[in-house]
Formats: sequence, structure tokens, C-alpha cells
Amino acid sequence: MAHSHSHAVSTSNVAEIDNTIDIPGKRAHLVTGNQTFHSITNMVCRIAEEPQPTLWWFLFAFSSATALMFVGLIGYLIYRGVGIWGNMNPVFWAWPIVNFVFWVGIAHAGTLISAILFLFRQNWRTSINRASEAMTIFAVVCAGIFPGIHVGRAWLAFWLLPYPSLNLWMWPQFRSPLLWDVFAVSTYASTSLVFWYMGMIPDLATFRDRSKTKLRRMVYGLLCLGWTGSSRHWLRYEKAYTILAALAAPLVLSVHTVVSFDFAVSQLPGWHTTIFPPYFVAGAIFSGFAMVITLMVPARKIYKIEHLITIRHLENMNKIILATGSLVGLAYATEFFIAWYSKNPFESFTFINRAFGPYWWAYWIMVSCNVISPQLFWFKKIRTSPVLMVIISIFVNIGMWFERFVITVTSLSRDFLPSSWGYFTPTPIDGLMYFGSFGVFMTLFLLFCRFLPIVAISEVKGVLSIQNHEEHKAH
Amino acid sequence: MSDHKPKKTTPTEPKKFGWIAEYADEHSLLTAARKVRDSGYTKTDAFTPFPVHGIDEALGIKPTVLPFIVLCAGFTGLATAAAMQYWTNAIDYPYIISGKPMGSWPAFIPVCFELTVLFSAFTTFLGMIALNRLPKFSNPVFTSARFDRVTDDRFFLYVDSSDKYFNKQSVQELLSGTGPESLEEVVEDSTPTAIPRIIWYVLGCLIMASWIPAAIVYKMRQGKSDQPRLHVFLDMDFQPKKKPQQTTTIFPDGRSMQPQVAGTIARGQLSEADPYYLGYDPGKVSLLGEKETFLVSTQQKDGDGQAAPAAAAALNLPWLTEVPVAVNDELMELGKRKFNTYCAACHGLGGDGDGLVARRADQLAQGFWLPPTSLHDPRVRAQAVGQIYYTISNGKGKMAGYGPSLDAKERWAIVVYARALQRSRNASEADVPEDKASKLKTP
Repeated sequence: MAHSHSHAVSTSNVAEIDNTIDIPGKRAHLVTGNQTFHSITNMVCRIAEEPQPTLWWFLFAFSSATALMFVGLIGYLIYRGVGIWGNMNPVFWAWPIVNFVFWVGIAHAGTLISAILFLFRQNWRTSINRASEAMTIFAVVCAGIFPGIHVGRAWLAFWLLPYPSLNLWMWPQFRSPLLWDVFAVSTYASTSLVFWYMGMIPDLATFRDRSKTKLRRMVYGLLCLGWTGSSRHWLRYEKAYTILAALAAPLVLSVHTVVSFDFAVSQLPGWHTTIFPPYFVAGAIFSGFAMVITLMVPARKIYKIEHLITIRHLENMNKIILATGSLVGLAYATEFFIAWYSKNPFESFTFINRAFGPYWWAYWIMVSCNVISPQLFWFKKIRTSPVLMVIISIFVNIGMWFERFVITVTSLSRDFLPSSWGYFTPTPIDGLMYFGSFGVFMTLFLLFCRFLPIVAISEVKGVLSIQNHEEHKAH
Repeated sequence: MSDHKPKKTTPTEPKKFGWIAEYADEHSLLTAARKVRDSGYTKTDAFTPFPVHGIDEALGIKPTVLPFIVLCAGFTGLATAAAMQYWTNAIDYPYIISGKPMGSWPAFIPVCFELTVLFSAFTTFLGMIALNRLPKFSNPVFTSARFDRVTDDRFFLYVDSSDKYFNKQSVQELLSGTGPESLEEVVEDSTPTAIPRIIWYVLGCLIMASWIPAAIVYKMRQGKSDQPRLHVFLDMDFQPKKKPQQTTTIFPDGRSMQPQVAGTIARGQLSEADPYYLGYDPGKVSLLGEKETFLVSTQQKDGDGQAAPAAAAALNLPWLTEVPVAVNDELMELGKRKFNTYCAACHGLGGDGDGLVARRADQLAQGFWLPPTSLHDPRVRAQAVGQIYYTISNGKGKMAGYGPSLDAKERWAIVVYARALQRSRNASEADVPEDKASKLKTP
């Protein structure tokens, strides 16, 4: 059945093509290097068809070992109880919730790229949406673990769901933001999964049709549900994709809004503010895009897909990082202004305590990573340099972790009553579990690269078709 | 596409479904599609590696009903969320949270939104799959080896044989006139589509086996057992401690509950063991303690002489003869205040048994009134301070015990004041202190 694909694209190093210059009246190319439909298919499929590079095996061994350690630590946690963490009066939320918010934030980029940029007709989303959607799902997996094990008796976490129980004779408390969070995060996880899978169906069919072995053909054949590329199917598929994008766009904004309600609906100074929903959403997009940069820049190099994920794609993402980073900086400033302007002594104390109290170091790490480092993206040289953008994106994610740490820990450690103040100190297990969650995330991401189409092949072909059409008209 | 069920046919004569033409780019496909549509064919389809814009119009494909299905699903999700939250939190399990109303609609908004999206999203995906009649793993178009490139870089146009204008010859001529890369007749998919029997057997066995744990759980829940419940996680049901009546290896006698060590008083039981609280010395009780005597006398059905009546035993207790607290003016003052509050209503301010209650009872003369005892009665005067204390604490005859109302010190203070009252009626001149004696003689 298999064809002999005669003109395989050369896999030697590809020269970086600068497609970041805007010429008036001419749309910049999003697919560079005179690609054809077939060369795009080849470029993406061979990632999952050819043996993985040594680096992949090295990373996989390391990250899967880390993931196993995480699983082991969860077992130990269930055996010993939450006392193995540093969580102690008055800081009971501590690292598990910091890590939860951190990962949920990262999970925002994928759906934002897939849904909101789709609705705004931003064609540059097509090369990066698949990998960022995958990243979203893996980040939600990591995010979901932390509150699940933070409840103490993790084996009873299902009590959060409204199911008719024969033992409890009671229902969840729907007036609590913590329960809204259960609904928001699980809706987000399942909707993102559906969106991701549906987007992959045509590409899985491509994998099926290129299969050399019977097993591969069967597995990808089952996964793509027998997709033929029929125009009637495409019509409904595109309609469904638009509807899903329209549903996912408000959903992605709602998720971090609801996460921020976990804090904002409480009475604690530093938490009880109306700025939280937009501030959290901006931060989430900021950290999510940073994570996409951190992963995609090395991935495009390793898998030689620079012609699909071009410098222009990366530059656009960096512009969004710059915009959201400035929004986050504005939010920090607004918090301070309102703390002073409100003349609320608790509020003013909280913010002075954040910047100059016992956690001053966390606060200033947050400010320098989140506010100062993205400002470097005003320089085109920096925002188009793959190495520099990866470094800055890593700083951004360090900063965003510290933002959640500052919000969660400083407010809890010093509230209204000085007699109930305390200083939080994490245990080594806190650190290992946070590190372990990266193992889970990376393991899933590496498996995704190994087995699934990491670029939306059919969508890129659509973009190439438009690009060729415009080229044709111009001549 | 026609949905013919694959039947067993001889490989030499496969069933024909129609013609399929292959094109190298989307523009040739569009041109060909328009031509085919203009010739009147409706049972047509195109197969492309990406959605080609304009193909719907070129083939005459009608828009889909999917958005309306999703709209209905969205409303269903909204209604489900609203009903679920209102019913669980306001009707079935009403529970006040920070003074909010039971049906707090503003607080229900987030979940309403999430379920609307959840229902809509799943309906969008499943609706798309169902309307496209997927999954469909056996498809006549898959029989063409060239068709593998439909997901790569080739564009196909298909005319089905069930079209009312279909004629093998004319369709072939029409399609070959559009300049295809290739033109083939679509034949039945002859690859076996049936799932191997062994998979059915394994699946069947697995499904049957999956019922075993459920059946065990059901039996466990319904039936009775003298064994403790099976606990995967011990929660707080089991604690590392010993309960009464259990055995232990810690003590030589093997009992987790140990008898009281001689000469000690258990925590919280001082009031049952100290003369200060009792009015008598329990260590000197020869036969049976007051409490035990009482218990024996009430529990024994036939008095066998062993257990003396409670009252009799009480009277013979080893009473304290000295007040066990320091006697001073302050104590006397406290005793006076408490006596006048609690005792004087019946016993009178002077302790003569002529309190207001007693006098009113005399006026009523109902015949069953037992007059309160006078403290100056020689019988009472002869009593030890411990016995007076005991009477105040536990009551006597019609008098209720004041142990629960007055603490031990107050009761002893009353005893001291009662003794002072008694002495005031029976004092001699010698009892008057030197400095007060002159005052006494003045009149």
C-alpha cells in the first residue's frame, strides 16, 4: 500500500530565514523555504517515524525517572500524610497550591493560541497550536495532581463531585469558589482534550496512510476514526472547530478567573481584591507563552522544523509575552496604589510587608523576572534571537512561580492578628515534588513528540494554500 | 458515500461503487468539481488533505445542522447546572453559608457557565463525529492504493454509482476530460472487516470478569458478617490506643484496664475521696463506704441484713469534728451571706426553724407540713461539724441537698455560721471577749 516518497526533504541543517520584516501590501510568509504539501507532510511525519535522536532518549530517561520519583513521593504522602510538607499554621496552602496555580497558568497558552487566535484569524497560530495544546493538557495533568493530594485524604477527593452518595447523605457546597474551581479546571481539562484530539484527527489519518507496518496502520487508523478527508466531513469538522474555539475562548478566560476567586472571595488582605481575575489571566497567558517558547525553540531545532515554526512565529509570541508582562507589571503597581489609596491599614501593611517583610527576596525575584526581563523584548534583536528568548522565557516562569508564592504565602503568613503570624519553611519533599511534576510534564511531552503529529499538518497546508494563492495573484 | 455492507464476493468480481479521479492541486479539483456539479450529479464527494475553500459551493454541499444541536446542548448544560445547584444546595441539603440565601444565584453563575461549555464542547465533538458517520474503518475509497496520498498532497473527486444520472461510460468520459492525474473505479473493500473471534472471546471474558468485584462488593454490602469492616485506608477508625476490656501485653495481668492503685486517687475523683468534700474521713469507714452502702441497699432485692439502710449507715460515718478550713472573719461573713440566701427562707435568720416559708406553711395549716429543724435543737447541737456539712451537701428529709449550688468552701462557711448561731443561744458571760465585756454590762 505504501508509496515510495521519492523526493524526501533533506534533513540537513536548515538555514534560518528572516521572515520578520513587514513589507507594506505584502503578507510575510509563514511557511518558508519553498515548501510543497508533500514536503510539509514529510517534515512533520518523519519526527514520529524516524528513530528519535540521542538527546530524546537522554531526556526521556531523566524525565521519566523524575516522574517515577514523583509517583513514589505521592505514595509516601498518602502513607505518611501531609505532615511531610512544610505546610503549617498559618500557611496551610503553601507549595501545593502555589504549584497548582503555576501549572494551571501554564496551561493557558495552548487554548489561547488555538481558540482566541483562531477567532482573530491569526494564521501564525497554525504551526504552534498543536504542541501548545498538548502542553496545555500536560500542564493541566500536573495542576490537577496538587490540589488532589493537598486535600489530605487523597483517596476521598471524589467527594468533591456532586454524586448521590449512599454514605455521605450530603451535597457539595456550590457557594464555595473551591468547588467552582473543581468544575472550571475539569471542564477546561476535558474540553482542551477534545479540542486537541479533534484537531489531530486529520493528521492521525496522515500518519495512518504513511504507515509501513500493519500495527502502526491499525493503531493510527483506529485513532483517526477512519478519516477520509471527505469535503462533507471537512465542512462539519471546520464548523465544529469554530464552535469549539468560540466555546474555549471564554472558557480559557474563566478558568484562571475562577482560580483567582479561590483567593479573591476570601477576606484576607492581599487576596480580597477585584483586580485578581484580569491580573491572574494576564499572568497565566504570560507564563503559558513563556513555556511554549522554552519548549518549542529547542524542539524546532532538534526536529528541524524551522521552516514551519519560523522566527516570525516566535517573535509574535514574544510580543504577546511583552504585552502580558507589562500588564502584570501594571497589576503589581495597581495593587500598591490601591493599598495606599484605600487607606485600609491591613491592605497597606500587606503590601509593604510583601516588598520589605521577611519574604522580600521572593517579591524582588518576582518583580525582576516578571516586570523587568520581558521589557528586553522591546529590542528586535533580542526578541528574534532563539537563545536569548529561551533564557528570558525561563526567567519569566521562575518569576511567575514566585508570583504565586508571594501571593499565597505572604498573605497567609501575616494576616490581621500579629499573634497568629508565622514564617513558612518548605521541606525537601516540597521541592522534590515540584521538581517531580516537571518530570511528569516532560515525559508526557516527549511521548507526544515521539508518537503524535507535533505540528497541525492539515492546517499548515491550508496556510500554504492561501500563501501560494496570494503569490499567484501578485504575479 | 453509500453505506454498503461488505459481503463475501469473489475477488475477481468486486462490487463497483463509482469513479474516483485524482488531481495534483486544489484548483484543478475545484474546476473539475464545478464541471461535475453542472452536469447534474449530486452523489459526489471530494477528498482533500485540508479543507479546500469553495468546494462546498462547487459540489453543492448544504450547510450543517451542527450549530443548532450545540445550542440545544448548551441550554441543556445551563439548565442542568442551575437545577443541580438549586436542588442540592437549597432543597435537598439546605445549609447556611455566611448568611447567604440557600438559592444564591450569583454564586451559581460559575458552575452554570462551566457546564454550559462542557455540554456544548462534547456535543460539538460527538455531534461532528456522528453526523460524519464516523468511526468508519471500512470504506470503498480505501481500496485504491493511490488514495493513501489523500492525507498528503493529492485531491480526489468521487462520483457514486447510486447517482440517478450515473452511467459508467459517461462519468468516465466526463472525469477524464477534467485532466486528472489518474482515474480509477472504486471497488468494494475486500479486506476482512470482521473483528477476529479471539478478540470477542477475550472481550467477553473481560466483561464477565469485571462483574466479579462488583458482585463481591454487593454481597459484602448486603450480607452480615461478624468480622470488622475491610478498610483500605484506616482513616481515624483505628487508633494506636487501648480501650477498656481489651487485652494487652504491656501489663503482666494482660488487661488493658488496670485496677486503681491502693492509696491513690484517680484524676477528677478528688471530691469523692477527700474529707474536705465529703464531711467525713473515707479512710476510716470500717465496713462499707456511704456510696457503696447506698448502692448495695438499692440493688439488693431482699434485704439480707448485710446491707444496712443507707440513712442508718450515713449516720454512723466517721464525721469530721474540726472544720477543715481556716476560720476567720472573712469565712464567717461568707457563711452569713450564704446562710441568709439559701437557708434562712426555711430555717429563719436565727436558725430557729421559723423562716418565711415555714411561717406561711403554718398559716395554711394543711396538715402535711414537716416543720424545718431548729439549729438550736439539742440533737443538732450535738452533731459534729462534718455531719452538718453532710446534711447541707446531701439534704435530709424534705430538705434538698445544696452540694450542686454551693461549693465546698461556701458549705463549710455555712457550717461555721450555724455553729456561731448555736453558740449565741448558749453562751455564758465567760465567752464574751474582754474588750467587749464592758459593752455587755452597760445596760
